[in-house]
Amino acid sequence: MEQPSRPLLEISGLHTGFDTFDGRVRAVDGVDLEVHAGKTLCVVGESGCGKSVTARSILRLVEDSGSIDAGTITWHGDGAPFDILSLDPRDKRLQRLRGGDIGMIFQEPAASLLQLRTIGAQLIETLRIHTGLDKRAARARAVELLDSVGIPDPQRRIDAYPFQLSGGMCQRAMIAIALCANPSLLIADEPTTALDVTTQARILDLIRSLQAEHRMAVMFITHDLGVVAELADEVAVMYLGRVVERAPVDEIFADPKHPYTKALLASVPVLGRDRRRDLPTIPGAVPNPLHRPSGCSFHPRCAEAIAGKCDVDAPPEVNFGGGRTAECVLYETEGAKA
Amino acid sequence: MIEPILEVRDLHVRFPVRRNLLGRTTVENHAVSGVDLALVPGETLALVGESGCGKTTLGRTIVGAQKATSGAVIFDGKVLTSMPERERAPYRRQIRMVFQDPFSSLNPRFTLRQIIGDPLVATGEARGSELEDRIAEMMRRVGLSPDYMDRYPHAFSGGQRQRVNIARALIVNPRLVVADEPVSALDVSVRAQILNLLRELQAEFGLTYLFISHDLSVVENLADRVAVMYFGRIVELADTASLYDAPRHPYTEALMSAVPIPDPALKGRGGRILLPDELPDPSNPPPGCAFARRCRYAEAGRCDTGEIPLEHGTRCVRREELDLQGIVGAPS
Repeated sequence: MEQPSRPLLEISGLHTGFDTFDGRVRAVDGVDLEVHAGKTLCVVGESGCGKSVTARSILRLVEDSGSIDAGTITWHGDGAPFDILSLDPRDKRLQRLRGGDIGMIFQEPAASLLQLRTIGAQLIETLRIHTGLDKRAARARAVELLDSVGIPDPQRRIDAYPFQLSGGMCQRAMIAIALCANPSLLIADEPTTALDVTTQARILDLIRSLQAEHRMAVMFITHDLGVVAELADEVAVMYLGRVVERAPVDEIFADPKHPYTKALLASVPVLGRDRRRDLPTIPGAVPNPLHRPSGCSFHPRCAEAIAGKCDVDAPPEVNFGGGRTAECVLYETEGAKA
Repeated sequence: MIEPILEVRDLHVRFPVRRNLLGRTTVENHAVSGVDLALVPGETLALVGESGCGKTTLGRTIVGAQKATSGAVIFDGKVLTSMPERERAPYRRQIRMVFQDPFSSLNPRFTLRQIIGDPLVATGEARGSELEDRIAEMMRRVGLSPDYMDRYPHAFSGGQRQRVNIARALIVNPRLVVADEPVSALDVSVRAQILNLLRELQAEFGLTYLFISHDLSVVENLADRVAVMYFGRIVELADTASLYDAPRHPYTEALMSAVPIPDPALKGRGGRILLPDELPDPSNPPPGCAFARRCRYAEAGRCDTGEIPLEHGTRCVRREELDLQGIVGAPS
């Protein structure tokens, strides 16, 4: 496995929590991740596993009730590396990151675009902030961008309001905005979940070809394992605020280590494989993060849990080498300690 | 020949978009345009298609939540669509619906007892201890502990709420269940539980399912037969195995090729058909095949004129000439 010398983005020991009525929820509870230039990292997990909060923490876009409690997020851009989390909120570098070096696509295009401004106005504004183009040049560039993301008739559509466009079109407009400043990293938070499969196929194709052109890094958040297989170089599986397994994409599908990853892969119906048959299931449901189980948080649902061990001690992080890790006691003796 | 439990004949549903000064409808959206279907008892027929194809409207018309513009819904030999509301009531309990969103389809101010027991109370079928027994029995059957009877929906996860939805639908012993995307909003790890539960309940109660979904992998797992809808019409109707192995309509082929398969070895497997976004205007359906403008096999002069009938399970004039691709890279 070729491994570039240093990552573009390095998340280490990230903790993000939210104050709720019932107490503090540790949505992200010690996450370590790396994103490399030109590569795609897919973050997989179910609702509430902290994958979106991790992504939002990178740009420091955590809502008011929440805060980043610990950890570092180091950006190795063109200049000297710096920790995003320790920047002053008014620091110029933070502004440059948001929408400049890092583009972000959110899950619901209709909710994340302003409804009362045309997509052109929103795109041109971003372009002018990050590229310094004048009005006319920005508009011309905006038309080009809309065309490149596959919006037919961009000359006319640039003056359309989001509600006049379909979900797929809005998502493409979002992508155009996220990509307008040629970011080094694109963070995509479930960008295709609300879309039809045919539209999804086109959006994935688009992200792939743009990545090839610009050697852009992509952090792609999804719960769809099909999309992961298609897009990822590296995969991180999250469960209840922690990364439980990390591996290159081929290995995670061929030889999943963590019991959660195994169960997840088995429970998804696959075209051509599971016609009219009962599917293996994971018992129970994802626990409320307020009442995190003791020890390994997956142990109440785990088929291989060892009583007296998994429900007591936090699982060790086992390093298998080649970028593979798993947080599970089953491999304690196998891997070399990092 | 087995008598169908449900028949849909030339069903049309149109929604008014604009009216003129006199209140006459001048522009209408065609949501369902001429659907024919028959379900035999005990089978699962899946209705697949993309958003806006009319699958939900068709489901709602069958359960009576939406009025048909023309055509007939025939249940057990009785034409429901021409029946006065009052006479329809007994059929409401025989045809039940399970909704997509387990978060918005349960009243947050009702306890599970009220939600699940409501159909029995409304029909006056059971009360007192019998009511309680039947609710408890139904809850056990769908995998919920009857101890939770007096809790409110907010205390439950998506999967559990969907179990409540299913219990509410089944408590009056229906014969036909219309399930509209029942697993789409659920987490992957819970989805399999609900699919297995639907299968068990079908065997136990001899239910017939009309299963509406956009997810081709889920449909393949559950359905006996599949109807593919496009733009308000059924474009292909076939047994699950033959539809997935050898689709006969270009739209089915394109839809299948777009489903990402969780196997990185098939990455870039090719054969993916990218469709242009030229959706026809629902208020002014084009002549011929509605898919023609996006279809890579379309021939001018043949596909864009006249009315194309559903023959041998497919609505395509070129069905004899085309050799379409099924699931690529599927283990055989």
